[in-house]
Amino acid sequence: MRVTRQTKEKTRQRILKAAFDLFVGRGFYETTTRDIAAKARIATGTLFNYFPTKEALAMEIIAEALESGRDDYAKLRRGEESLAEDLFLFIITGLRKLEPHRTYLASVVETALSPFTSSNNNRVGEQVRVDHLEQIASLLAAHQVTDQPSFVVIHIYWALYLGILAFWSTDDSPNQEDTLVLLDHALGLFVASATNSRSRLEASHDGQH
Amino acid sequence: MTVNINELIKAIPWDDEADEAPQQALDQLLRKLAHKSLPTGALNRFWVLGTLQAKIAAAYFVHWIRSWFAGLDEKERRLNETHLKAALKLLGGMSYMRGAVMKLGQVLANYPDVVPEQFAEILGRLHFEAPPMHFSLLRELFRNELGSTPDEVFDDFETEAFAAASLGQVHRARLKGTGRRVAVKIQYPNIARTIRDDFRNMQALVLPMRMSSDWDNLREQFEGIRQMLDLEVDYENEARNMEIALNAFEEHEEVVIPRVYREFSTRRVLTMDYIDGVHLRHYLATNPSQEERDRYGHLIILSSFRLSYGKDLLHADPHPGNYFFMPDGRLGLIDFGSCCLYSKDDIDYMSECERAIEGSEEAINKSLARAGDLTPRQAAEKERLRLFREWAEWVWEPMRCEGPFDFGAPDYFQKGIQIYGDLLRRRFVRSLPLNVWLAKCFVGVRALLARLDAHVDMRTIWKQETYVK
Repeated sequence: MRVTRQTKEKTRQRILKAAFDLFVGRGFYETTTRDIAAKARIATGTLFNYFPTKEALAMEIIAEALESGRDDYAKLRRGEESLAEDLFLFIITGLRKLEPHRTYLASVVETALSPFTSSNNNRVGEQVRVDHLEQIASLLAAHQVTDQPSFVVIHIYWALYLGILAFWSTDDSPNQEDTLVLLDHALGLFVASATNSRSRLEASHDGQH
Repeated sequence: MTVNINELIKAIPWDDEADEAPQQALDQLLRKLAHKSLPTGALNRFWVLGTLQAKIAAAYFVHWIRSWFAGLDEKERRLNETHLKAALKLLGGMSYMRGAVMKLGQVLANYPDVVPEQFAEILGRLHFEAPPMHFSLLRELFRNELGSTPDEVFDDFETEAFAAASLGQVHRARLKGTGRRVAVKIQYPNIARTIRDDFRNMQALVLPMRMSSDWDNLREQFEGIRQMLDLEVDYENEARNMEIALNAFEEHEEVVIPRVYREFSTRRVLTMDYIDGVHLRHYLATNPSQEERDRYGHLIILSSFRLSYGKDLLHADPHPGNYFFMPDGRLGLIDFGSCCLYSKDDIDYMSECERAIEGSEEAINKSLARAGDLTPRQAAEKERLRLFREWAEWVWEPMRCEGPFDFGAPDYFQKGIQIYGDLLRRRFVRSLPLNVWLAKCFVGVRALLARLDAHVDMRTIWKQETYVK
């Protein structure tokens, strides 16, 4: 049994590597499952035992990159970060790991993480979203902002995050420094709205009297 | 409305040495003004402040600019108004200019009849303020620039900045191996490009305005500022200036210029020796003896003359924050970003002025006409020449004085400011571009010496350093 599992994992990794090479070399839309299977030296039918669709496969690659980004985040975190810095570190460690996938990221995000598609469309994508937002919720709790972020806060965050991913994937400034600026400012806005929405409402209410 | 704004501006203390004070004062003012609590999120407050400051300055700016096109016909006035509105919107959105915008507002409040050149000069001495960066952002920038993180390159890299810098911030660290303390200056991402773009837009909006003939050389002034800016955003240029300055002083001369570590420096990261010391205000608080203050006064003049005469390098911003009074009695000098390197023409012009200091009436008048870039007709205007002469005499006075000159004498510094103010008020501002930088240096050094209340034999230092023997 153990050997079989090992073999399976090896094949899985071979598929992921083949897909990655093709996505980078040829582009996401230009690559077919048949191409991937051929490059991984397996039958196309076998590929579907591992991944139901090309989108799921691509999202798996992205999910793994983000996963290893989370390890970096845990290593780099000093524990004294402000909420904005903590969020920044969380996102930027993910982006660093996504770097090799930048050229085709937009296509994958568009299909697997799009806010316009139903959440059941891509199981891996949905899992990435849930994991990511859970992490954000626990981060907000750790900074004593809220134990239960409202759907508003969570959606503002997710919209910002997808916006940043989209911007970054086509950012042609040197070293994508514009993304750093955008991220810095976007998180400033997010933190202000997450921590201040109540007091701002009160202030404007007072102002009317 | 005008009264309120006036009071507002007067109530805002502005001290170049303390970045915090005006912020806090403004916070208080804002609270009173708005009668409601301020948003506490750092970024939120940052934007509110920026906008309000911009508005205050803008009120004066508009008032002042309008006075310049009062004589035009209706159509031209309307055209100007349109450009003006757009320019103001742009100005209000430049958050890194909040300090400069506030200064501009103050100047306009005090001198409502300032002239375009003065406006250009204020723009020229902007200290561009970048938003503060946390360590996680800084680490990314550092890695982009040097390929490794600060922790890999240095020991004890302090995650909190100890000083704000033009366009960025400064952190303390130690070199691996030697343990030598260094200061690492890091530039905020893409700020240089943003500023450049904003300037280009501003220029495009302001230059088509039709004004009186005094605006003629505004284009040139803008171009000068843009060039300065290009130099300032390039830390490699600053590193070169520092290396020139470093070679200007012998060990025993007690003037310290930080050494640059090129292997840890790029266009946006500058690693240099950390200078241990205090700024002028803290130094004065220790009640130094007259002898000590004189000695420091001597070092300040020596550093300025040596760089200027010996290395053709003008440290154009002798701001108190750029001088360190070190525990071992030496003087530390930093910030070589906005230095001016003299051209051959500059040196020729300055040599002529140097000779005039002790020259004949004719030599003096000739150098003044050249300084003012005057036409023969302008050079014949008695009032203009009289004020020019007064200004030159003021600058030259300590150089002509045998023995120690009392820079702390209450009327000396005041007199200089008054003459400069007169020159501006009468709009006798036509001059060689270099003079703007020179005036900044002359006034800045004398302001420092006045605050130090130092007695210094400037003449001896001058005689020893000048290239006109």
